Amino acid sequence: MSRSNRFERLLRWYPTAWRSRYGAGMVALMEDTYATAGMPLRGRLAIMRAGVCERAREAGVLGRETSPLDRQRAGSLLVLCGWAAVMLAGAFFAKFTDNWNSLLSGGGRTLSNVSFIAVQWGGVLGIVLVAVAVVCVVPSLVALVRAGGWASVRRPIVRTVIVGAVVVALTVALVAWAHHLPYRDRNGGLIPYEFVVAGWSVTVAIAVGVATSAAVSVTRRLELSARKIQSLSLIAVTLTFFMFVIFAGTLAWAVTESLDAPAFMRQAIGSGLFTNASSFPPVMVVTVLVMLLGLAAAITGTVRVAQARHDGALRYVGDQSP
Amino acid sequence: MAKRTTPVSGLERNNEPAVLILTSLASGDKHGYALSKDIEGFAGIVLGPGTLYGAITRLEERGLIEPTPSDDRRQPYRITAGGLAALSAALEQMRQLSEIGTSRLGARIATSRLAPGGIVPGYSL
Repeated sequence: MSRSNRFERLLRWYPTAWRSRYGAGMVALMEDTYATAGMPLRGRLAIMRAGVCERAREAGVLGRETSPLDRQRAGSLLVLCGWAAVMLAGAFFAKFTDNWNSLLSGGGRTLSNVSFIAVQWGGVLGIVLVAVAVVCVVPSLVALVRAGGWASVRRPIVRTVIVGAVVVALTVALVAWAHHLPYRDRNGGLIPYEFVVAGWSVTVAIAVGVATSAAVSVTRRLELSARKIQSLSLIAVTLTFFMFVIFAGTLAWAVTESLDAPAFMRQAIGSGLFTNASSFPPVMVVTVLVMLLGLAAAITGTVRVAQARHDGALRYVGDQSP
Repeated sequence: MAKRTTPVSGLERNNEPAVLILTSLASGDKHGYALSKDIEGFAGIVLGPGTLYGAITRLEERGLIEPTPSDDRRQPYRITAGGLAALSAALEQMRQLSEIGTSRLGARIATSRLAPGGIVPGYSL
């Protein structure tokens, strides 16, 4: 591969519009700068970082170049990305706590019970909120399609439908197999089953990623009124609160159970692929970390929304003043 | 925590690459590589391609610089009237900051000379 091609490949980290505007000049600069010596790894990483920042700016997640309403929309979409991560981790949590209540009985588990219920209700209310947000934007999507804009949103939507269909087919097959297996085999006793479940989990994670990416891509293209964007941002802020409840509940549940029921934490999911002898097993650590990552993204989005609302209010006051 | 305010120049505080680029363009139109070499020469700072073009993008968006016609892939830029005003305001701020810093540092060194510990080694005004 020629040096120019290598530099052009590096520019893929930047948004398309930026590349068409500045790409040639930047490639020429890199050719001149690294004419004698190769480009160091640090330089390549710096370009990648700059490209990602430029994409974030274009999306309205960074900087103040876009309007307050666009920044509110971007902040809300960042919250949606965080929600996808929390939902994914929540699915791990649901699998981990499968049969938890029926296997353990007796008093003295108030905190873990309350935490578990908080996680469940946080998840349910969060899903309701996301559904309300979807209902809010569907008329705008229909209007876009009717106005001949299907081509601009076709690719992410078709991709999501295909990946979703694959996940549904895999899930049906997995459930059908699982129904023929005894409890022990389904919970670590059968290594091939654990591998298939691991593969299925990866597919679900990819499907969630593709669907979230499509939702972000499509919503960015929609014509949304100021009132609708403000409603969506309010939903996003409330969703962040539920994500915090889910995270806190999961953490409280895991810590309480690792202290009060270490045997369950060690044995509940058997001795297969996902387990070890710790009372705070790796799968719980990963679950909590992914939730934390999602929550961090959501808080960042919420702060972005709050700042944009503040800037929008200031602009409004400025417009009203003589 | 310090609260950031937008200065008169329109350039955010500590926006060093932007000020360096405007300073470089104040002496004439330049393309990316020429800017990079000029800045390295007068400030001793090497701006990587990502940083340089990030700053160029922001400056162009704010109308402080503009591209000039070119047949080459190397795109030259020139400073605009708005850019000159922004640079002037940024340099004035730096001058004020420099004066205050110099005056306070001078007072501190003078006090140190009178103190039993003596003056700070290596400092002279």
